[in-house]
Amino acid sequence: MTTSNQELSTQPAAAPASSGPAAGRHASSVNARRDGRLEKIAAGEFVPAEIHDSLRSEQAVLEIEKFNLWYGAKQALFDIQMIIPRGKVTALIGPSGCGKSTLLRCVNRMNDLIDSVRVAGQMRLNGDSIFASGVDVIELRKRMGMVFQKPNPFPMSIFENVVYPLRIDGERNRNVLEEVCERSLRGAALWNEVKDRLQESGLSLSGGQQQRLCIARAIASDPEVLLLDEPCSALDPLATGKIEDLIQELRGEYSILIVTHNMQQASRVSDYTAFMYLGHLVEYGDTPELFTNPRLKETEDYLTGRFG
Amino acid sequence: MLITLGGLGTILAVSLVCVFLLWVVVPLFLPSSLVPLSGASAGGGAPGQVVHAGADEYLRIGWVATADGSLTAYRLDTGEQLSRTALSHDGRPPSAMSFALRDGHVALAFGNLVQLGSIDFQTTFVEAAELPAELRELPVGEIATFGQGILERTAEGQFRLQQLRVELPEPAALKSDSEVALIDVSVSSKGTVFAALTRDGQLHLAQVTQRKNLLTGEVTNRLRSGSVQVELPAAGVPSYLKLAGLGDAVFLAWEDGLLQRFDTRNATRPELVEQVDLVETPEDKLTALAFLIGKTTLVSGDSAGRLRAWFRIKPDEAPTADGALLVAGHELPSMAGPVAFLGASSRSRMVAAASDAGQVRLFHVTSEHEVAERQAPDAAGAMHALTIAPKDDALLALAGDRLLLWSIDAPHPQTTWASILRPVWYEGYNAPEHVWQSSSGTDDFEEKYGLVPLVFGTLKATFYSMLFGAPLALLAAIYTSEFLHPRAKARVKPTIEIMASLPSVVLGFLAALFFAPLVENIVPQCLALFVTIPFAYLLGAHLWQLLPGPMAAYLGRFRILGMVVALPAGVGLAWLIGRPVERWLFAGDIKAWLDGQIGNGIGAWMFVLLPLSCLAVTWLITSFVTPGMRRYAGTWPRLQFALLDLGKLLAGCLLAAGLAYGLGATLDGLGWDPRGTYVGTYVQRNALVVGFIMGFAVIPIIYTISDDALSAVPESLRAGSLGAGATPWQTAIRVVIPTAMSGLFSAMMVGLGRAVGETMIVLMAAGNTPVLDWNIFNGFRTLSANIAVELPEAVIDSTHYRMLFLAALSLFVMTFFVNTIAEVVRLRFRKRAFQL
Repeated sequence: MTTSNQELSTQPAAAPASSGPAAGRHASSVNARRDGRLEKIAAGEFVPAEIHDSLRSEQAVLEIEKFNLWYGAKQALFDIQMIIPRGKVTALIGPSGCGKSTLLRCVNRMNDLIDSVRVAGQMRLNGDSIFASGVDVIELRKRMGMVFQKPNPFPMSIFENVVYPLRIDGERNRNVLEEVCERSLRGAALWNEVKDRLQESGLSLSGGQQQRLCIARAIASDPEVLLLDEPCSALDPLATGKIEDLIQELRGEYSILIVTHNMQQASRVSDYTAFMYLGHLVEYGDTPELFTNPRLKETEDYLTGRFG
Repeated sequence: MLITLGGLGTILAVSLVCVFLLWVVVPLFLPSSLVPLSGASAGGGAPGQVVHAGADEYLRIGWVATADGSLTAYRLDTGEQLSRTALSHDGRPPSAMSFALRDGHVALAFGNLVQLGSIDFQTTFVEAAELPAELRELPVGEIATFGQGILERTAEGQFRLQQLRVELPEPAALKSDSEVALIDVSVSSKGTVFAALTRDGQLHLAQVTQRKNLLTGEVTNRLRSGSVQVELPAAGVPSYLKLAGLGDAVFLAWEDGLLQRFDTRNATRPELVEQVDLVETPEDKLTALAFLIGKTTLVSGDSAGRLRAWFRIKPDEAPTADGALLVAGHELPSMAGPVAFLGASSRSRMVAAASDAGQVRLFHVTSEHEVAERQAPDAAGAMHALTIAPKDDALLALAGDRLLLWSIDAPHPQTTWASILRPVWYEGYNAPEHVWQSSSGTDDFEEKYGLVPLVFGTLKATFYSMLFGAPLALLAAIYTSEFLHPRAKARVKPTIEIMASLPSVVLGFLAALFFAPLVENIVPQCLALFVTIPFAYLLGAHLWQLLPGPMAAYLGRFRILGMVVALPAGVGLAWLIGRPVERWLFAGDIKAWLDGQIGNGIGAWMFVLLPLSCLAVTWLITSFVTPGMRRYAGTWPRLQFALLDLGKLLAGCLLAAGLAYGLGATLDGLGWDPRGTYVGTYVQRNALVVGFIMGFAVIPIIYTISDDALSAVPESLRAGSLGAGATPWQTAIRVVIPTAMSGLFSAMMVGLGRAVGETMIVLMAAGNTPVLDWNIFNGFRTLSANIAVELPEAVIDSTHYRMLFLAALSLFVMTFFVNTIAEVVRLRFRKRAFQL
């Protein structure tokens, strides 16, 4: 791995996620302001993000501080500075290639697997550094759950799929496993559909069920944060609806960070929405406000489908 | 379209290969037959009591010797009498006669005089000028009677004259006044032996040994003779006297079935060593007794129609003085009535039997099956004699005054499924065995075509090479696909694949001329390698854990260097412990120990028990110790936990070794010593060396396919597992390997197919001894190596040739079977892969 943390020392001591420099001046603007920041970003300039005040009152489960990421020589994330609130659903939206999935995958360091990735900056999960050298990545990942774009149940039984995180922890107590399996499947709203065929292959389920199985697997280890990477992109509208209902149910119990390319979905399921563009965080605020009354014209343009 | 054609062409080609193999093999199992050729009336009427009959190899002339001492030659196709010679001395007919199967040796006795001569066929070429005018125009291929012989115009236009030649030198007197009642003669390369029984019960033996001085070329004859008094039973003089081919035994048999065997290895002191009853019940009579080719096996026929073959075996504890025992090794299918005549073949182990009723059956003795059967025409009258022609191509019988000639169509009389696949009791073997032995120095030799030792050798080579190659290749594939950096893998994989292009003859050469002699001198060290190298890696991994966390994370990228170091460390450790282990387990000298001369069986048990106890201890630790350790020491500081882990490893190793040793000692104490089974006498070219080198031949193919199978596992599964907090190792074991399992299985099968068909390595390094022996330190011969060795010297369309094709067909079937399983599994795998 060429992941580098050497630039950490040069970063200033991280402040709690807060509004950018421009936040105060446009506190309650009804009409979105256009300042050509997308052009600036495209030109390579750094523009601080527009972060709504509503986030200040939130307790952070995850703090992202001055986070930069390079694929080889190409920078993919620029000084991302945000918090993910506890017990809420936070959506990352933005046009393709804006870095939302990259950011998500950085949270549990899945990008370590990619050879040319280099990062600078810091993330903290409940105060514990994620990128400090000497962090046990395996232990770190156990504290999070992740669901991927494509349902990826393992070729084993439904039961084994769900209890997989416990299995790898060496849990052998059948009672514990069964209890966790039921709780997770109920949590993923799949219990009633599969309770009679727990020993069947996870691959025998439909796509939507498979994805809910993956969610059950992700919540089996009681994660501190649940990372959903476009969980509905490979599903039909019906299955998508079920997953969205599920996310609604999981709200409060779990802190959820969801990447979606579907703005309606973001508006339906999330409490907070972050709009990203070309590796920059552009605007971040509570979902109803961002969708109905964005501070930036660019956000409005994107949300109304004028580009992206 | 082109692809379809190519595919069909391939299938067609493979099918044609199979069809061709079958085409060559099938005649082995086709039924044989006896077809009447001629049945002319003998000129001069029916001969008297026939003692022996014969025919020439061209089936032109037949001859009959009768008890009154006349020797008559007949032209077989017309029955015309060609010559008649009186075998007499001073006007007396012989009192005893004996005719050898081959070479025409004959022994006659007149009173106490013994005459050793020969009766054979002489071939001369006659100038046309010497022939009468009507014979000069004889068409090519036609025959005519000329003088006392048969004249034939050959394809080259020459006149070939074939006639019976009788050579009888002056007789010599025995040291006895009594008349000789029975006589037999054997001629071997060592000299001539004859045995004669006089009416007063004296068995006389004389041996003439010829010695040729290699420098002067001078030939000296040495005569040794002796006699022994036979205690004649009430029945009087025996009916048969049979002298074994090497002159080392004399058999006297009476009509009531009693057989006395005399040990005549020392011709000056014959000695009665054994009495055997040749018939089953007292009512049965011995009606025929004949030697098979080689004069070692006696075939007895009795009045109940039973036919049995007897030969001497040398069991460990024989009650006889010479340590040999005459046993009925084969029981042939019975005749309908009493066996009247037996005629043995002079080139194979076939014997013809005829009953008084004219039933004629042809048997192959070793395979105990009837080759063909025929009934003499009723009109012919009573049978007088039966003989098989010199080339095994015809059967001559005298019935009434008819000379009945049947052609024998039995090109492969000895092959039956039973003789190929089941143990066969060959002459001189102590028990039925699986034997492959296709050639030998003498003409009397019987080819032994048991495929089982070869199939076994193939399986043994496959087993040991897979035992070595498969785990290594699988682990390598898992390592490169799951752990190795993709850039490093991009170099490693082609390198291993290049190994596949190493010509196997080079590997075989290395194995035979480099590894085999090398390993021979350092056997204990080589065995220790199997323990020390895994131990070195485990120890290395545990020592790595002792590094402080951040340092371990930083040094992670150099982990491969540690692995590179662990290998020589393991080798060095093996070098260090080799001798002490030899002293401890193998009594200080492993080869003598393997022979079973010294030491006990504990070391041999360790071969099997050590890996098993390692597995058991591993299971014990992962099921009970590790979870407990996690519970109680899970929160310990990293270093302390790593130290605990290291202690666990060392304790586990000691426990495994102790467990294996204790169990081995217990089993040894119970008297079970496995030496002689999977370990045994050390042979330089052995399964260990072949397994090692052939392992190298199968590693690339197993590795490549396994790696492809593992790499084909969708990245999303790996991501899912890693995302759930699994280590790469857990991901590999729990998700990747189960998903790729059928691909891995298919890789193993393809490797297996390669090992089954591999030729050059086993040919050069396996010693090519077709023995049934699991012993890892012994050699073997595989089907493929056998074909490579023997096909060049096999006569086309001979039994040997066809048997080699059968071996090829077996190989074809085996590899086809293995590859089909591999393909079926691969298709299933692909179907499953589509689901992911």
